[in-house]
Amino acid sequence: MEVSISAAFNVSILAMAVIFTVLAILIFTIQVLVKLMPYTAPPAAPPRRQKTATSASNNQDDHVAAITATLAMHMGKSPNEFRITNISQR
Amino acid sequence: MEFSFGASATKIITTTGFSSLGGGDAIMLLVACVLLYLAIWKKFEPLLLLPMGFGCLLANVPMSMMQSTDSGGLLNFFYQGVKHEILPPLVFMGVGALTDFGPLLANPATLLLGAAAQIGVYFTLVGAVYLGFNMHEASAIGIIGGADGPTSIFIASKLAPHLLAPIAVAAYSYMSLVPLIQPPIMKFLTTEKERKIKMEQLQPISQTVKIVFPVVVTIVCCLMLPGVTPLLGMLMLGNLFRESGVTARLHETAETHLINIVTILLALAVGSSMTADSFLRIETLKIIVLGLLAFSIATAGGVIFGKIMCKMTGGRVNPLIGSAGVSAVPMAARVSQKVGSDADSSNFLLMHAMGPNVAGVIGSAVAAGVFISLFGDTVPEPHAAIANVIGTVEPGAKAAIAQVVGALQH
Repeated sequence: MEVSISAAFNVSILAMAVIFTVLAILIFTIQVLVKLMPYTAPPAAPPRRQKTATSASNNQDDHVAAITATLAMHMGKSPNEFRITNISQR
Repeated sequence: MEFSFGASATKIITTTGFSSLGGGDAIMLLVACVLLYLAIWKKFEPLLLLPMGFGCLLANVPMSMMQSTDSGGLLNFFYQGVKHEILPPLVFMGVGALTDFGPLLANPATLLLGAAAQIGVYFTLVGAVYLGFNMHEASAIGIIGGADGPTSIFIASKLAPHLLAPIAVAAYSYMSLVPLIQPPIMKFLTTEKERKIKMEQLQPISQTVKIVFPVVVTIVCCLMLPGVTPLLGMLMLGNLFRESGVTARLHETAETHLINIVTILLALAVGSSMTADSFLRIETLKIIVLGLLAFSIATAGGVIFGKIMCKMTGGRVNPLIGSAGVSAVPMAARVSQKVGSDADSSNFLLMHAMGPNVAGVIGSAVAAGVFISLFGDTVPEPHAAIANVIGTVEPGAKAAIAQVVGALQH
């Protein structure tokens, strides 16, 4: 059994070395891929037709309220502690 | 033909399962009911444990011809998918179709966390050898530490098919217990300050990289470890269906209908191998203990390597994401998020933890490939020792002969 345990240790060390080597090669490969094919932001969407001022303003207020309430609930704080100053479209 | 009421009644009675029901069968029927209870009421990996438990139930009804070794039986046909390594790779194809490798590509260093978590596999290998298992059996038991069900079944069916049933049950049971097993280990190995570390937002990755990645991984890893090709190749094919954008139907099929069908067949087949002979042995208890050891050490290995990465990057890596290197996707990542948010509710680690989580899938497949490379072509045939004496044997007798040979060898 002692021979088997030492064999198991040898297998373990060898196998971990192989795993780290394979994955290190993968890391290098991914870094090369990311460098060769960098992310480019998609072109900006054409501006939409303007809605009436009132309906657009109401929609934005609703959105702000919903976002504020969700953030507050998630972070365990009061909605009054947040103030969303700007929402911009990407 | 004369009809004798007494003789016919006797014949009917003697052909009922009750007449052949042994103590082992009754215990296995109870084990099947326990698996069904765990799956349905405790929600322990129900997609696998429910059909597995029912397969166990069917297989242990005497004279039902539903055991995996009953030639011509329904579940014997399903079991061919396990025996010939068809079903686990198909599950992996579905897993690939479901997986987003974006967080991994955004932070490729997290692949090392997936590698570090495999240390649980090799600690368990040594422990299994210490407890008396041979190297093939120990490899199949150790792979439980990879926390990957299809990989565990694939390696067990290849290297130690007689241990497939307890290994599969242990693997899937412990995967469902990840939210219970991991947090105490993570909290023990990290400080409050480390758990509060916030990581930088992940960089966006181009779609071209996401498309090329599965092809490159397949070429690089499968050339180095050809034995891993069925698993890793299918994983990457499923991912390519997802990312290419031109195979929407195949993607949808792989991530829904195909994986569901294959899961049913696989779990039933594994359940059908859970007989009294193969399951009610002291080895099963050892495997259950070793499985827990595998998971625990894998978690610890990932967290410790996470701490090393934290030190080397000057505190930019939260060590908690190291525990997600076990490939229980996405549960292990959710556990990292939960433990992190317990320390700081404004800390969002989920996407950062997904990187090592999916890296663990690749890491466990690579670990399996190493075992196949080392031991895959020298699998001991359990009845080879007396094959020359008795010639070709019936499949149903193989298990009995394997036990005799095993007893003689010990």
